[in-house]
Amino acid sequence: MLTAPLLYRLMVGAHEMRIDASWGVLVVAGLLVGIGTRYGAGCTSGHGVCGLSRLSPRSLVATLAFMGAGFFTVYVIRHVLA
Amino acid sequence: MRNRISEFVIGLIFGMGLIISGMTDPGKVLGFLDVTGLWDPSLALVMGGAVLVGLLAFTIARRRTTTLLGRPMQLPTARHIDRRLVLGSLAFGAGWGIAGFCPGPAIVSLGAGQAKAFVFVLAMLVGMGAFEWLERRRKARGA
Repeated sequence: MLTAPLLYRLMVGAHEMRIDASWGVLVVAGLLVGIGTRYGAGCTSGHGVCGLSRLSPRSLVATLAFMGAGFFTVYVIRHVLA
Repeated sequence: MRNRISEFVIGLIFGMGLIISGMTDPGKVLGFLDVTGLWDPSLALVMGGAVLVGLLAFTIARRRTTTLLGRPMQLPTARHIDRRLVLGSLAFGAGWGIAGFCPGPAIVSLGAGQAKAFVFVLAMLVGMGAFEWLERRRKARGA
């Protein structure tokens, strides 16, 4: 996965990427993602892709939970606090 | 050795897929999570496409006892839905909504040399370490 950007650059060209979040925000986000994915035993790839592909009820619940939390968080940040 | 090569190639394909589909761009991810704003459905389409492929793959995998490279087929067996699953997923979703990064894309961005991705991944590893520590304490207490 770490090498993919290099391959992409060789095959396609430079890839523009913008990360708007501030350093402090990234730390908080990272901590939440780190601890949350371990307790939740998965993420968008683990539960969202693999879990749903396996028709796992556990992964469906997890996916609905993190999608809901994601929607709510962005709503609060962009439309309530902003 | 074959397994190492296949692991590397799989990671490469996954990483390329994330880049090409725009999932390493926090702007695109947050655009999907911004349901009440200017909504970008891309992430749903990417996940949907991946699940279609996965449905086929896991249907085949379920019928096998070994992988294509001859290793034992190991599929998850956990079925319980508990507080850890829900709270953990909620916490993950909140972190995801804050910066628009989840583990896979963050690692790929790290590979692209993004300093901010490095900070995120570092914090993520600390968070994972915190989980390990809490778990060890919980087990030591015989919970």
